[in-house]
Amino acid sequence: MAELSLQHIDKIYDNNVQAVFDFNMDVRDGELIVLVGPSGCGKSTTLRMVAGLEDISAGKLMLDGRDITSMPAKDRDMAMVFQNYALYGHMTVYENMAFSMTLRKENPNVIHRKVLAAAEILDLTNQLNKKPSQLSGGQRQRVAMGRAIVRNPKVFLFDEPLSNLDAKLRGATRREILLLHKRLQATMLYVTHDQTEALTLADRIVCMSMGHVQQIGTPLELYDTPANLFVAGFIGLPPMNFFDVRFEEGQLKGKGFTVQLTDAERHTLRAYNGQDITLGVRPEDICEGSDVAVKVFSNENLGMNTLVYGHMGDGLRVCAKLRGWAQYRPGDELRVDFGRKHFFDKTTTNAIRGEA
Amino acid sequence: MTNDDRLVKLDRMRYTKNSLSSALALLAIVFDVLYFVSIYQSNVGTYYYNILMGASVLYNLIFMLMAFLSSEGVKNYKPGYSWLLIALGAGQIVRIFILPRMAHAALVKNVPVMDDGQYLWVIICLILSAVCCVASAVINLIKSRQLAAHVASLEKQAA
Repeated sequence: MAELSLQHIDKIYDNNVQAVFDFNMDVRDGELIVLVGPSGCGKSTTLRMVAGLEDISAGKLMLDGRDITSMPAKDRDMAMVFQNYALYGHMTVYENMAFSMTLRKENPNVIHRKVLAAAEILDLTNQLNKKPSQLSGGQRQRVAMGRAIVRNPKVFLFDEPLSNLDAKLRGATRREILLLHKRLQATMLYVTHDQTEALTLADRIVCMSMGHVQQIGTPLELYDTPANLFVAGFIGLPPMNFFDVRFEEGQLKGKGFTVQLTDAERHTLRAYNGQDITLGVRPEDICEGSDVAVKVFSNENLGMNTLVYGHMGDGLRVCAKLRGWAQYRPGDELRVDFGRKHFFDKTTTNAIRGEA
Repeated sequence: MTNDDRLVKLDRMRYTKNSLSSALALLAIVFDVLYFVSIYQSNVGTYYYNILMGASVLYNLIFMLMAFLSSEGVKNYKPGYSWLLIALGAGQIVRIFILPRMAHAALVKNVPVMDDGQYLWVIICLILSAVCCVASAVINLIKSRQLAAHVASLEKQAA
């Protein structure tokens, strides 16, 4: 049982730079929360504050109802896995995994049982006598995770654990972390700048920018109903296309193009008649059709899909992710339809949901 | 200690070093150093004694090298190094009857080169060095045999 609550957390450094603003979140027992955002958005700082490696400037951090805001890191019963593994090079895998418990002077037999159990989970049994330098990046990261597992902490903290791995290994290790979470049913906080990791791993995602929480929700919520322009642009690959349009006469009129709307979409935008808004369309929601003309300038085949980049209207760039193998050449004209559309207020950048 | 605990203790040896044997071998070097810094203060003044002193310096270098190699070997439960350590231990006992004995018996201008206290001290250093070598070797032999039997039983189970 480990429920974590972050209440109005701020981080202000000595030079008065504020890295985190009013962070609020309740992490349920056994939940895997992913903090995602671009570099410098405050996600790692937040994680380090939870771990006790950074002081909390304001706010409260509660673990199972107990205030741990000013508790030293060693007493918090949390284990952290770092991007650079932080393994001791002169120790074997076994010794690395046993080290924290050896320092706590636990019974060597108990340590042995825990290390073997963790090695079994992580498929490291045959590597226990090796030094970290003899292991691959993925194996080293598994050792770092093993070191966290043997402590049996209340909360696991991961700080960009896959960033040092190549793409193939990253995918495999990501799946291992997911299996590990399912097996341990532990509360985990995971920091990444990679939205694919966030979408595939998280029970809930916290999307951050410039120290502010932009949206907290399930991966589907963030993908399907982004709260604002930032989340819409950050989640999804390739990123969402944005167009400045005006809502007039039940249509969206952009520079050199017009988009027809459904009744439901018109209803959503009823309060914006005659106003400028931002239209967002995901590349995968664009299909070949008849609505808008696009002049192709690049065609990238990915196997199952083709990314077609082009200009529409007065030179607006657009990216479409078309199904199958398409072979457009630069200069070809293509007509497309927009499927699911997202609308954003031009001033606040918040999503327009059409609530009364 | 339950049978299960005993088994876990045995299994731990697969992943932990034999640090006790290794430390004892290093301790043997320490006592050897204490011995030679004491014996080199003596000077009987004979040509034969000086030759023996030179040989002793060479032997010390060899002893320290061998004992250090053995400490690394026994750390990984290699039984062969136990025999080397036993030989080095026996050598330390034999050394008692060469330089220390000659220095203790010699007189220069009717003054003993090495008094009883110094003589006892170097003997103790050599005996302790020998005991450490032999203890390290015996412990390693016992542990390496236990480990080999355990690994064999695991392999048998796996097969």
